[in-house]
Amino acid sequence: MDFDWSVIVDAMPSLLSGARLTIFITLGGLAGGLVVGFVAGLMRAYGNALLNSIAFAYIELIRGTPIVVQVMFIYFALPVLANVRISPISAAVTAIVVNAGAYIAEIVRGSFLSVHKGLKEAGLALGLPFWKVLLYIIGPVAFRRMIPPLGNQFIVSLKDTSLFIVIGVGELTRQGQEIMAANFRAVEIWTAVAVFYLIMTGTLTLILRVVEKKMRML
Amino acid sequence: MSMVEFRKVTKRFGRVVVLNEVDLNIESGEVVVLIGPSGSGKSTLLRCINALEEIDGGDLIVDGISVRAGRSHVRLIRQEAGMVFQQFNLFPQMTALENVAFGPRHVRGLNRTEALSQARELLSKVGLADRANYYPSELSGGQQQRVAIARALAIKPKLMLFDEPTSALDPELRHEVLMVMQSLAEEGMTMIVVTHEMNFARRVGTRLIFMENGKIAVDGDPVALLANPENPRLREFLQHVN
Repeated sequence: MDFDWSVIVDAMPSLLSGARLTIFITLGGLAGGLVVGFVAGLMRAYGNALLNSIAFAYIELIRGTPIVVQVMFIYFALPVLANVRISPISAAVTAIVVNAGAYIAEIVRGSFLSVHKGLKEAGLALGLPFWKVLLYIIGPVAFRRMIPPLGNQFIVSLKDTSLFIVIGVGELTRQGQEIMAANFRAVEIWTAVAVFYLIMTGTLTLILRVVEKKMRML
Repeated sequence: MSMVEFRKVTKRFGRVVVLNEVDLNIESGEVVVLIGPSGSGKSTLLRCINALEEIDGGDLIVDGISVRAGRSHVRLIRQEAGMVFQQFNLFPQMTALENVAFGPRHVRGLNRTEALSQARELLSKVGLADRANYYPSELSGGQQQRVAIARALAIKPKLMLFDEPTSALDPELRHEVLMVMQSLAEEGMTMIVVTHEMNFARRVGTRLIFMENGKIAVDGDPVALLANPENPRLREFLQHVN
């Protein structure tokens, strides 16, 4: 068969708008996911029994169910249960926040707890309150250790946005699907879509590599 | 009033009794050297003073404050009792200078300029003025431990606790740390030192305490005790150390 470049040229505007939406959902979702993940992770690592079990239940609930089911629940079931209307894009962002948050929580917990306990004792021995020990001493060391696993999670979440095709969000995969349905050029379209994802994940990898290089690994 | 006062202090780890109703008074200006076999409770005794270990029975008063008086009081005790650890425990993301300036800024409320200039003075006091901008990973063990001593001194403690400060060091690096400790003692600092350095005990110590099975077995003058240990367990211990 012939690889018809003109198909890709024609599809470009739609694919670009799809990619833009994919980036928007990923960035919005990960920003929220980081906040949720830090809170839940610190609850797991340092919280009392109650906070710990709340965070544990959340993490197990999310890790134990597929993200497609989660986004369907948010988009279709939540409106019925809570009587709220939610747009497909909000549902998509929320799904990434909730989903990535659970995995990031475990990354945060693991990194904080991996820091040698002597550092905590040295901080406490100076007479600092525990929150300052976490913020200024353990946190910065833990943060460096988080970068590689966080990078992993960012890439997974970016690719997970393709699953939101099931709720009709016009992200990259959905755009590809729609063009394909009209012109049946599967090879050109899915190649182009794949390359778009590679460019986005590749950029993410590069950014993470720069961040990692700028920080002294400890 | 004593600087440190143990009143029947008991500490357990699970079922193991590590400190068994210990009574001990330490006055301002004393240099107390704590020795004993491993597991005898000497490190635990030290760590109870600044409440890194919580006591299970009795009471422990440091500079007039009980370690059982609650979190904010414990922080006050810790600000009066500087601690030096066997493994140095410098903050790896900070330079030597930042390590020393950290406590004063966050505990004593000094501004950045004041804290840094005080940190420079302390680093030159421990002989490391030229290493101010090095990270801990770029320093030798002896240098790291001297930075750690400067860091503990920076919060202007009334009392210094040393938990085997030279045990992680090569023999040729111990000397530089012991010299810093000696000059500190000569300035009149109250010090409690867990160590196996008998020469330091003899030269610098004003009091030697030998611990065994969670109890203080011998308590007296270091020179006399080391020259003529009457307690058979102490004599046996000293033979193994030397």
